Amino acid sequence: MNLNVLICDDSSFARKQMARSIPSDWPITLHYAEDGEQGVEAIRAGKGDVVFLDLTMPNLDGYGVLEAIRREDLPAMVIVVSGDIQPDAQERVKKLGAMAFIKKPIDAEKARTVLIQYGILTEV
Amino acid sequence: MKVNACLVNEDQRDCYQELVNVAMGQAADHLARLVGAYVVLPIPKVSLIDNSDLNMAMHDAKRDTSVSAVCQGFIGSGIAGEALLLFKDTSFASLASLLKYQGPLNRQMELELLMDTASVLIAACINGIGEQLEIRFNQGTPVILGQHCMVDDILNSRQDKWQKTLAIEIHYTLEQLDVDCDLLLLFSEESVKKLNQRIDFLLD
Repeated sequence: MNLNVLICDDSSFARKQMARSIPSDWPITLHYAEDGEQGVEAIRAGKGDVVFLDLTMPNLDGYGVLEAIRREDLPAMVIVVSGDIQPDAQERVKKLGAMAFIKKPIDAEKARTVLIQYGILTEV
Repeated sequence: MKVNACLVNEDQRDCYQELVNVAMGQAADHLARLVGAYVVLPIPKVSLIDNSDLNMAMHDAKRDTSVSAVCQGFIGSGIAGEALLLFKDTSFASLASLLKYQGPLNRQMELELLMDTASVLIAACINGIGEQLEIRFNQGTPVILGQHCMVDDILNSRQDKWQKTLAIEIHYTLEQLDVDCDLLLLFSEESVKKLNQRIDFLLD
């Protein structure tokens, strides 16, 4: 069964950029969410085994999504992909349970490195 | 706020917003390291506005407050723009202590604080946008537009320069500190057309 990967970002350009950066040889089913609320719903529905999460979003922001995941004990590995690269932001999301932090703009190299680093993707 | 659909379509507007989001994140990171405090980042507003609407575009909170402002032009690859940074005057006391400035907080010191912070924020933001669009922007000399003025007076003084303008408004605050500023990036109609070509290339 394919891994369910969720891209949660309010910008359609950012979602596209993220999708293009995901390794093409990675057998996954890709899902999208346009804000934090949609993101949490998708994760509840089992669409977010791995989540690429933006921080600055309307309705519910990335921090809120991480809190919801923790509160409801949802099974999601979260990689935060954010333009807010302040050390404080990185620390906060790690404390809230995010696995990794990638600085925007995302590219294929950064995505692959993190996925391999955390053993989600095995290098061939 | 008038949004001219002919100049920027929704996909392009979304792309501008994301590029600015990344650029202002870099700018905020510089500022955060400079002052040692967390900078609160909102979603930037991107709107195409007429000169007459520029006043309206300004953050409402600043309507009746005294501000100090700097502007700095930038140019590259046939694209010209202007960055306008407005600080609420109440910000300077906090900034002075964060940046460890010694001595009484007079106009001269406020001016230094304004110039120091402006150069960091504007340069980081402009470079961040330029990097993503592969444009090398050259920055002009920053110019003080006024100290302890009303927002309207500052904007009115630049009236003739901007006819139809793409305005990108970024509002920064420092967490739990009374530091509050707005960064406006303004592009002329001609420059917007050239920017759009680069944006379309990214969207492809």
